[in-house]
Amino acid sequence: MIPFVIPSEAKRSRGILKRSLHASRLWRDLVGMTVGVVFLLLTSSVNAQQVSLSISPPILELVIKPGKSIMVAYRVGNLGDPTILTTKILPFEPKDNLGNIRIKKEFDGPVRFGLDNADLQLEQPFFLKTGDSQQLLLRIRLPEGAPEGDYYYTLLAETVPPKSSEGIGSAQARVDIGSNILITVTESGSVEVKPKIALFSTLGGLILDRDLKIYDSFDKIPLTLIVENKGKNMIKPEGEITLKGNFGEEIKYDIIPKNILSMSQRLVEATPSAQFEKPVSLTLSGFFVGLYRLSTKLTFGENSPTVFASTSFLALPFKLIVGLIVVIIITTFVIRKFSTQEDED
Amino acid sequence: MNLRFARFLVVALLFLGMTGGAVSAVDMESSRFRIDSANVNSAAGNKSSTNYKLSDTIGQLAAGEFSSTGYVVKAGFQYLHSIIPFRFSISDINVALGTLTPNVPVTASTVLTVYFGAAGQYLVTAIEESPFKTQSGNAIPDTSCNGGGDTCSESLAKVWDSVSAYGFGYGMSGDDIPADFIDATYFRPFPDRTAAESPATVMTSINVGKNRISTLTFKVNISPIQPAGSYQTIINFVATPSF
Repeated sequence: MIPFVIPSEAKRSRGILKRSLHASRLWRDLVGMTVGVVFLLLTSSVNAQQVSLSISPPILELVIKPGKSIMVAYRVGNLGDPTILTTKILPFEPKDNLGNIRIKKEFDGPVRFGLDNADLQLEQPFFLKTGDSQQLLLRIRLPEGAPEGDYYYTLLAETVPPKSSEGIGSAQARVDIGSNILITVTESGSVEVKPKIALFSTLGGLILDRDLKIYDSFDKIPLTLIVENKGKNMIKPEGEITLKGNFGEEIKYDIIPKNILSMSQRLVEATPSAQFEKPVSLTLSGFFVGLYRLSTKLTFGENSPTVFASTSFLALPFKLIVGLIVVIIITTFVIRKFSTQEDED
Repeated sequence: MNLRFARFLVVALLFLGMTGGAVSAVDMESSRFRIDSANVNSAAGNKSSTNYKLSDTIGQLAAGEFSSTGYVVKAGFQYLHSIIPFRFSISDINVALGTLTPNVPVTASTVLTVYFGAAGQYLVTAIEESPFKTQSGNAIPDTSCNGGGDTCSESLAKVWDSVSAYGFGYGMSGDDIPADFIDATYFRPFPDRTAAESPATVMTSINVGKNRISTLTFKVNISPIQPAGSYQTIINFVATPSF
């Protein structure tokens, strides 16, 4: 039934109807677009398979007698997409003097590892849902007669790479996350501590004397302290680096106690320190004038040796002096020019 | 006036230099540093007899605990006073490079993230399990970049922007990446496990940093004579904290 309306009312009604139709089309388009965008987003998130793993504790230090065993609880977490993981243990060695490691391909050493979990063994795959975690009860056992010394391993949790896409070129990733295990085997509880300061020196600068470098007062002065461990057990330095100025001022920087593995060297850092473009122990920044003496004193635990080292540097405001000379020359030149002009006038 | 100032500067330098020399006179020294003394331990020193001579130093770690239990165990980094989990993420572990066309380089990226609370020091390495190849064994060679002066290697990135330079490689950008990835045109080939090569470091830092993020870009460019097929490879990323 067509309602009876006067013309002006009919026009208004048609207008309302048009606006209503337009609004509903707009609404339909909007819903359609939203659904499309959500679909596309969902599709892309399904294609991009994310791996995000965590492991705790990140490091384990163990001093143990031959014939003993201990159990340590690790936790591997999955913060990415659901994944299948396997665990394994491989030995490692220091790669450089910066604390990086090189994991060996094959297992070696006298230490025996296993999982005490009822339903899980090393190298047995297990599934982890998103947000889930798996406790790993790692049993570490030293057989009777195991040779004294240090043994270094990494516990690795490894993902299974996804299936490749047929018909296109693709690269799949296998992801490993590791936690290092440092084991010292000793019958008596005594360990060999044989530290040596391999390098204690500022970097850059101008060599003025055999043991004295010269810097500009505004320069950042990087300092390198490398400690060598000549013993068969790992050591951990504690101590400080002291900066003494020629007016008696003194600043102390605490050494960060990080492990130095047996028969290796490590760059020892102090805190607080600004970052430098290459790894250094400490970056001194400020305005330095005169002769400064840097010294360090390191200890390695109770009843252990103490080692010392020192070096010096000289700082002078060369840039400031050059700047002043330039200003003086320009000023003198300008004054003379003006004086000459005045004389001529 | 300048001459006077220069004289003053030279005299000042000589004076300060001589002062430094006087302070630094000690027994054990090298050109860069000096060890003033080196050993204060009751069990330390040189031991000798007619049959042996050795020099050692002995430390004792938590003697009471060790003698009662037979072990001493410490978890986490002692200087942080808390156990911070080590976390590593890759945004996409199935990176599609699409249909490959000769002389048309293709790139695809994935994001690597390392979270280590305040502990900071870590290492991420990468190695390809095998060359980028088909199941039948046709392989796209690892890139040499542009070649000539721009020949890259597993440990040195060089420019790879020529469409006639073929191969498979990767570039990096972001936090804690090797310094040789100067910009987006620099690439390296992956080390190859089947060729007994060592994994390459793709991210590392000795400094404290919470969320360290980098982008790894895969790049492939094939020649017109490259056989057709589905080319695949597996890249093994290993993330470990330091010790």
